[in-house]
Amino acid sequence: MTVAVKDATEIWRDGRFRWAAGLLILLIVAAVAGGVHNQSEIARQHIDAQQAERDVWLDKGDMNPHAAAHYGAFVFKPVQPLSAIDPGLDPYVGVFVFLEAHKQQLARHRPIEDATPTRRLGQLTPASAALVLLPLLVVSLTFSSFAGERDQGTLRPLLAMGISRRALLAGKALGAMLPLAAIILPAAVIGGVIVWWNTPADPEAPIAARAAAMAVVYLAHTLIWIGAGLAVSARAKSQGTALVVLLALWFVNAFVAPPMAMGAAKWLDPSPSAIEFAASIQDEKDTWPSWDARVESVMTRFLEGEFDSTMAPANIEVTALLESEADETALYNRRFDELFTQFARQAQIFERIGAFAPTLAARTLSMAFAGTDEAHDRQFSAAASAYRSQMLTTLNGELAASGRFNTFDYTRGRDLWEKVPPFDYDVPSAGWALSSRAWSATVLAAWLIAVSLLAAWSVASMRVE
Amino acid sequence: MARLRQGYGGQVLFLARHEWRVMRANAIVRLVVAVFGIALVGSTMLGMARAERERTTLADYENRQGALPFRTPASRLGADAVANERGWLAMLPPAPLAHLAIGQGDVYPNYIKVTARSLDALVTGDQIEHPLSVASGQFDVAFVILFLYPLLIFAVSFDLTAGERDRGTLRMVLSQPVTLRQVVAGKMIVRVALLLVPAIVLPFATQFAGAPQYAAGARWERMLLWSIAVIAYASVWHGLALVVNARGLKAPANALVLAGLWLLFVVVGPSAVNLLIATRYPMPSRVEAAVQARAATQEATVQGSRELGQFLQDHPTSGNVGREGMRQFALLQAQRDQRVADRLQSVEATFNEQLKKQQHLASWLSVLSPTMIAQGVLLDVAGTSTYRYEYFRHEASKFQRQWRAYFEPRVLDAATITSQEYVDAPDFRFREEDDTVMRDRILLPIALLTGFALLLWWAGFRRYARYQL
Repeated sequence: MTVAVKDATEIWRDGRFRWAAGLLILLIVAAVAGGVHNQSEIARQHIDAQQAERDVWLDKGDMNPHAAAHYGAFVFKPVQPLSAIDPGLDPYVGVFVFLEAHKQQLARHRPIEDATPTRRLGQLTPASAALVLLPLLVVSLTFSSFAGERDQGTLRPLLAMGISRRALLAGKALGAMLPLAAIILPAAVIGGVIVWWNTPADPEAPIAARAAAMAVVYLAHTLIWIGAGLAVSARAKSQGTALVVLLALWFVNAFVAPPMAMGAAKWLDPSPSAIEFAASIQDEKDTWPSWDARVESVMTRFLEGEFDSTMAPANIEVTALLESEADETALYNRRFDELFTQFARQAQIFERIGAFAPTLAARTLSMAFAGTDEAHDRQFSAAASAYRSQMLTTLNGELAASGRFNTFDYTRGRDLWEKVPPFDYDVPSAGWALSSRAWSATVLAAWLIAVSLLAAWSVASMRVE
Repeated sequence: MARLRQGYGGQVLFLARHEWRVMRANAIVRLVVAVFGIALVGSTMLGMARAERERTTLADYENRQGALPFRTPASRLGADAVANERGWLAMLPPAPLAHLAIGQGDVYPNYIKVTARSLDALVTGDQIEHPLSVASGQFDVAFVILFLYPLLIFAVSFDLTAGERDRGTLRMVLSQPVTLRQVVAGKMIVRVALLLVPAIVLPFATQFAGAPQYAAGARWERMLLWSIAVIAYASVWHGLALVVNARGLKAPANALVLAGLWLLFVVVGPSAVNLLIATRYPMPSRVEAAVQARAATQEATVQGSRELGQFLQDHPTSGNVGREGMRQFALLQAQRDQRVADRLQSVEATFNEQLKKQQHLASWLSVLSPTMIAQGVLLDVAGTSTYRYEYFRHEASKFQRQWRAYFEPRVLDAATITSQEYVDAPDFRFREEDDTVMRDRILLPIALLTGFALLLWWAGFRRYARYQL
C-alpha cells in the first residue's frame, strides 16, 4: 500500500502527468459532449423523417395497390442511444433503405460519402479515447514501474525491506490505478451527467445493461494494459527498452491490427465489388424467359386448367407480372443473403484475429454493446427486408382477394395503406449482443487472466539489478 | 581519422559520413530501417495486387460490354431494353497510383450504369465494401507514410545531441575546427537520408519489379509529385525533431515530448478536428433531404402513376396496344420521369450546394495538422481522392446526356434497334482530367508544408546557437 501511495504521489507531482491527465479529461469530456450532441441530432432527424414518411404513405391518395408497391416506402435506420459513446460502423453504413416492388436495395447514403477525406483519419469518440488514448497513458504510467527502480538502483533496497514481490506488484498496480482513477472518475461523472441530461429519444431502448457492459469492456481493456505494462517493465533490460516495447505494442494494437485483420479477412474470403455484384444479378436475369414467353407459359397452364376457369384474359398478364415479381424478389433476396453472409464471415475472421490483439477484441465488443456493429446492421437490414415482404404481401394480397384480379382499374385508398403497419424496429438485448460476440468476450477475459499471470510471473522472476 | 575536408559544406559532409558509420552500428536504427522497409515493400505489394485485380475486373466488363447484345446480326431489340434495361456501364479505370493509396476507392463506386431515363441520371450507386473495412482504414503506402514514418523519424532523432553532450563527447568533437551547427547539420543529413531514401525508392522499385507496365507516360510525373509531397511532409517532422532537440533537454525527455507531438498531430489533432467538424459544421442531412425529395416529387409521382394506370386500364393486354399505344405509353412514362426528375433536381442542387459549403469550411480546419494536409495531397496525387470520383461522375453525366439524346427519340417512338444503330450509339471512354488541375490544387498545401518545414529548420538551427554544453 505504501508503495502504491508513494508511486501515485510521485506521478501526481509530475507536471507532465498533470498536463496529460488534464488534456485527456478534456478530450474525453469533449468526445462525450460531441458524441451526445451528434447522436441526439441524428436520432431526432431519423425519427422526424420516419414520421413524415408515414404521413406521406397514408396521404398519397387513391391508387392501384401494385402502384402503391412501386411508390414504395422509406425506412430510416434508428440511431442507438449508445452510439454517442461508440458510433462504431454507423458512419459507414447507409442511413435509410427504400423498399419497393421488384427490387431490393442496399441501405443508401453512408455518411462517410459526404464527409471530407480527412474524416478517414478517424474521429474522436469516447470509445476511441478509452481504447486508444487511455492505454497510452497506462503505458506512460507503468513502463518505469520496475525498470525505473532497477535503473536507479532502488529495487534491491526496496525488496530488502522485506516486501514480498507479490505485494510489490500489487502496490505498483495500485500505484498506476490511482492516478488513472483520478482521470477516469471525473471524466466518467461529467460524461454520465451529459448523457443523462440528454435522455434518449426512445425511453424503452435497453440502454442500462448495454452501457454497463461497455464500462466492463473498457475496464477490462485498461486492466490488460496495466498488466502488460507491469510485465514488460519487470522483464525489460532498461526503462527505455520497456517504453519502446510497450509503444510498439500499442501502435500495433491501435493502428496496424484493424486494417491488417480486415485485409486478411478480405483476402481469405473476397467479396464482390459493386460492379461484380450488379453484373451477377443482371447475368442471372438475362437467362430468364422473355415477357412474351412468360405470358405464353401462363396461358398454356391456364388452358391446361391450372387456374380458375373464370379468369379474364387480362389476368393472364397479371399472373405473369406477379410471377416475375416473385422471381425477382427471390433473386435479390438470395444475392443479398449471400453478400451479407459473406460480410458476416469476414467480420468473423476479423473477430478471430482479435485473439492476437486485445484492443481489437475490445473494439469489437464495444461496438456490439453500443449496437453499432455489423451484426446489428444486419439485424436492421433483416427487419427492413421482412417489413418489405409484409408490405408487398398486404398490397398484392389485397389485389388477389379483390376477386376482380384485373389490377389496372382497381384503386384503393387510405384504409388499405393503414393496413401496412408503421415500421418498428426493436434493438436486440445486451445478451444477444454478447452472444453474437462471444469469441471476443472470451478473448478479452483470457487476455486479462493471461496478462495477470504474466505480470505475476515476470515480477517473481525479474532481475533485481 | 581522415583529414577534415575543406570549406563549410565539405566539413558537414565529413561529419555526416562519420555519423553514418555510427548509426550503422546502432541496433535501434537497424530495427527502424528494417521495420520501415518491410512496411513499405509489403504495403506496395498488397496495393499492387489490389490494383491489378481492379484492372482485370474492369477490363473483363469492358470486353463484355463491347460484345453486341444481338443474337444474330439481323435481329432487333426494343429501344427501351437496349437504352434502359441494358444501358451502358461507364467505368472508371484504376487511378494512376492506386497501388499507393486506396483513398476513397472503398467508398465511391468505379462504375455508373447510364440509361436514357432522366431519373436514373440522379442516382449513383455505392461501392460494395465491408463497413468494418472502411472503418478500419487500409494498410497502404499512404498509411505507412502518414502514420509510421513520423514515428520512425522521432525514433532515430530523439537523441540528436543530448546523449553525446551528457557523455562529454560532443565537447571533444567541438574542440576540432567545426561548429555545433555543422555537427548538427551532418547528423540531420544522415537521418533524413536514412529514411527518405527507402520512403521514396522502395515503393517505386517494388512497383517496377512487380509490374513493369506501370512504367508508362504520365505516371512519372505523378511519382515525382508524390515524392515531393513525401519530402515536404518528412521535412516538417525532421524540423520538429530538430526544434525539440535544440531545447537542450535530456534524451528521454526529448523522446517523451516528440511522442506527445506525434500523438497530437497524427492522432488527437485530426480526430479532434473531425469531431469539431461533425459538431460545429455537420454535413447537411441526407435523411432530411430524402424527406424533402419525397414531398417534392409526391404529386408528380402520384399523377404519373394515375396516368399510366388509366392507360393500362384502357389497354388491358399488351396484345391490343399496338405501336401507337406503345408510343403513348413510353411518352407518359418519360413525362412522369421528367417531372419527378425536375423536382428532385432542385432538392439535390440545394443539398449539394450546402454540402460543398460545409466541406469547404471543414477543409480549412485541416491546416491544423501536417498529417491532414499531407493526406489530402497524397490522395490527390495518387488519384484516389474525392476529386477524381467527382470528375468521373461529371464525365458520366455528360455521357448520359449524349446517350439520352441518341436513344430517347427511339424509345419514345417504341422503335427497335438494329445492330448497326447500336454500334453507332455513343460510348464512354474515361479520359483523365488534365493534370494541371490537380497540380493547382496541391500547390498551396505543398507550399504550406514546405513553409512549416523551413520555419522549423530555421528555428531549430537558430536555437542551437544557444545550446548549453
